Amino acid sequence: MAEDDKPQVIHAPNPLSAKVTKGGPGAVDPTVLEKAEQVIAEMSGEYLNWVAEDLKKIQEAFEGLKSSGGTKENLEKVFEIAHDMKGQGGSFNYPLITTVANDLCRLLESLESAGAKETEVIRLHIDTMRVIITDGMEGEGGKAGKHLLAGLAKVVAKVNG
Amino acid sequence: MADYNLERLNFLIVDDNKHMRALVKSILHALGAKNVLDASDGADAFKELRHYPADIIICDWNMDPLDGLDFTRLVRTGNDSPNPFVPIIMLTGHTEMNRVVEARDSGIHEFLAKPISAKGLYSRVRAIIEHPRPFVRAGLYFGPDRRRRALASYMGQERRKDAEGGKDGEDGDLSQAEVEALLNG
Repeated sequence: MAEDDKPQVIHAPNPLSAKVTKGGPGAVDPTVLEKAEQVIAEMSGEYLNWVAEDLKKIQEAFEGLKSSGGTKENLEKVFEIAHDMKGQGGSFNYPLITTVANDLCRLLESLESAGAKETEVIRLHIDTMRVIITDGMEGEGGKAGKHLLAGLAKVVAKVNG
Repeated sequence: MADYNLERLNFLIVDDNKHMRALVKSILHALGAKNVLDASDGADAFKELRHYPADIIICDWNMDPLDGLDFTRLVRTGNDSPNPFVPIIMLTGHTEMNRVVEARDSGIHEFLAKPISAKGLYSRVRAIIEHPRPFVRAGLYFGPDRRRRALASYMGQERRKDAEGGKDGEDGDLSQAEVEALLNG
């Protein structure tokens, strides 16, 4: 912003104040909030179908990445699906999916292309997410979840040498 | 947390992922909202706005052909925008500092990190109801008052880093509380 730009403040209309009431029947009290959380929990069966679809799509995108020789365009295709997976896992009590997908997203964002080493690390993340779902590792995944994440970190460190 | 009745509000959800649209819609209905419309990208959403008087827009970031940032700028500054003042909640998996700042500078009101919960979504809706923000026109920016001016120097650094092809690996993910502090000062 240039020094001589003087910000102009505008008091915006607020139609919400006329439409929203406080309290009474239908208001969002703690019980309604709990019920809304329950609605999400009840969708977890659907989530398992969605994530199965995403795992299939990310595997296909990964195959495309491999056959392309690791181009930026194919990295972005894998990113797009990983980003969706990151955004959904935690809502349905699969925070491990969010954690691993987030790590994968950060890695993909940092790459301009993927060589053999990077491709292997990407594969490891995808395989880990598949195990989380196949083994039903909800929540933090207990001891097995801890081992899985530690194992992934270890192998990634080894691949990166 | 104050108890508000949301049934008269018109919500517009903009997300290219049909599962996210279904999830957000289900939460809003569970919170008592009756009017919830959805669109799969910014261009579709902008068309919807011509005949749907949205009170709150809940918008994803990554979408084609018009992403959440471009959509927000279009709503705020487009000549044919039906409602430049409509509150927008950016709902995204991007939680890095530079991304949150970028979203704020496009003219959003609130930022909510995915994965979401009902409590998280309601808290952002409540923030919009309880804290109506004045709008500011400053340079190329038009949108809700961004308040925290001290952040400007930080933004500068991030932009330079991006221009140099730097990656955001040094940028940690922000928690929702940090995001709110950043947006609301």
